[in-house]
Amino acid sequence: MEPENRISNKALTVWKISGLISCSITWIISIAVLVLTIIFDWTYWVIGALVLISTIQSFLAIFLIPSVKWKRWRYEVRNTEIDIQSGIFIIKRTLIPMIRVQHVETKQGPLLRKYDLASVEISTAATLHVIPALDLAEADELRHYISRMASVEEEDV
Amino acid sequence: MSDPKRLHPIAVLLNIIKSIKELVIPFLLVVVIPGKNEGIPGWIQPLVIAIIILLIIGNAFLQWLRFTYRIEEGEFRIESGVFVRKKRYIKFDRIHSMDISEGIIQRVFSLVKLNIETAGGSQADAVLSAIRKSDADRINAYISEEKNAYNPFDRDKDEVADNEIAAKSSSVFKQTLPQLVAMAATSGAVGVFLSGAVAFISQFDEMIPFQRIFKDYEDFIEMGTFILTLFALVALLAVYVLATLSMVIKYASFTVIKTDEEIVISRGLLEKRRLTIPIHKIQGIRIMENLIRKPLGLATVYIEYAGGSMEDKESLSIMLFPLIRKKHLQKKIMEILPVYETDTEMTPIPKRALSRYVFRKFLYLIPIIGALVWFFRPWGYLSFLLVPLAIFWAYMQYRDAGWSIEGNLLLLSSRFFSKQTLIMQRSRIQSITYKKSWFQNRKELATITASIKSGITSRVGMVADVEEKDCLIIKSWYSPKKTVDSQ
Repeated sequence: MEPENRISNKALTVWKISGLISCSITWIISIAVLVLTIIFDWTYWVIGALVLISTIQSFLAIFLIPSVKWKRWRYEVRNTEIDIQSGIFIIKRTLIPMIRVQHVETKQGPLLRKYDLASVEISTAATLHVIPALDLAEADELRHYISRMASVEEEDV
Repeated sequence: MSDPKRLHPIAVLLNIIKSIKELVIPFLLVVVIPGKNEGIPGWIQPLVIAIIILLIIGNAFLQWLRFTYRIEEGEFRIESGVFVRKKRYIKFDRIHSMDISEGIIQRVFSLVKLNIETAGGSQADAVLSAIRKSDADRINAYISEEKNAYNPFDRDKDEVADNEIAAKSSSVFKQTLPQLVAMAATSGAVGVFLSGAVAFISQFDEMIPFQRIFKDYEDFIEMGTFILTLFALVALLAVYVLATLSMVIKYASFTVIKTDEEIVISRGLLEKRRLTIPIHKIQGIRIMENLIRKPLGLATVYIEYAGGSMEDKESLSIMLFPLIRKKHLQKKIMEILPVYETDTEMTPIPKRALSRYVFRKFLYLIPIIGALVWFFRPWGYLSFLLVPLAIFWAYMQYRDAGWSIEGNLLLLSSRFFSKQTLIMQRSRIQSITYKKSWFQNRKELATITASIKSGITSRVGMVADVEEKDCLIIKSWYSPKKTVDSQ
């Protein structure tokens, strides 16, 4: 039985863009090395390897990983617990009882803001769990809900 | 108790020692490493050193002068700082525990160091580095009395408790000297000591003229490998004895006393330490059996508790029993922390998990062997000897992995080098996670993790390749019961 809710499908776009950004850094390095190789007449296998790595990284970071990750990501917030499923090659299920939640916060980077998304961070005394990229309204509502449910029962750490 | 008080003047010396400790490395970098400085007059260096020393002493004195503490309006107030004035007010009910320790200097002047610990980690702690023992006791008594006065429940308890003070601190665990020596001798301290020595030598190998030394000793080396080996063995033994001795001194007269709400652990020969741990802050216990102790049926038990501070590494990993026979463990735990059960049948992980453990070892063994064989032919072929070793290691890890649920307790055991058994109460577990890779999924296995709070971070119990069905059992055990919903 998987958790019910998926995260926003705009998350896919955001992940692809951030993948693109991280890839462009490797590409810049590759191009820099290429230029240096031509100027100083270095051996060519280094640049060959770099281009290969960049290509593989681009494929993984822009196409494969975001879609697998998105398909895998599910969460469900019940009265007494939060159930999260994530992972790319390793499927990971986490269970957090409401009474263990210490505080919840929503966060928005520039990229998430552009797409009107926010991530929800749930902290217990010992661990931090993040639900990335929910619609802003949904994230706010979730934050309210969790913090209300969490404060029902106070318990010392 | 409201007039501001200063520490004992010996605190100036303690401050000096502290800043020297902090400055040793930068000092070496600046003064020793550059060696000859051409062009700079010879008198500059001594002058700079003299100025630095004067600054250290002056600073230490001013720090002592400006440091005052007092008790006012239910708060412990400290004012300090030479250039930046700091005022730290700590409310009594925020105080977790007060620890008294005595370093060598404190003992010479019959003083103590009082550590006032709060829940907030390193920032909120207050340290009075040198005060008279009577003062420390008075502060301790005063604050705990005030704390109880605010809490009506505790006051009721106190009246009852007055009659049974004798019974209050009944449970005692004492580590005898032979046990202590055995514990030090079988500890991993040897390894730490050795690697420290190696690191130290490798730091200085540029400064020590090894080549010249070795030239002089070439004859010595020619005397044959036998004497050299003997020499190395003696050196190793000396290091081992030293490490053991330093541990015995550190943990000498180890005593655990249990009162109603606290566990008090005291130890040390030269530097005495007393740690007070509120029982309701204890999150779990951890039993460690290392390579040498496990075959002998011995174990070390640690307390995981929510508190302690970053600066004080020892408060993050607290030994409850430095060395105990495993068959006596249950009895001793019952006396001190009766909620914990240590004698349970662990559910082992399934046989088909063994190949996964072996597989994981090979994942990094193959590149290592490959590299060794490639670069160091023919000697590199010796690295194939690692294969049976790795398989044996994987088998040990497989054999010692297991889990168990005992009422409200979850026990997870696993091994890296030492076998670790983490015992957690359900109400103390912060979250449970289980994950499975594609390979695990095919075999219906999963890795289970449970986190509890420990110190200022967390302690994670993990067992790899547990039967997936068992993971679901653990998960539903942990999941808040449905009946709670209707309340």
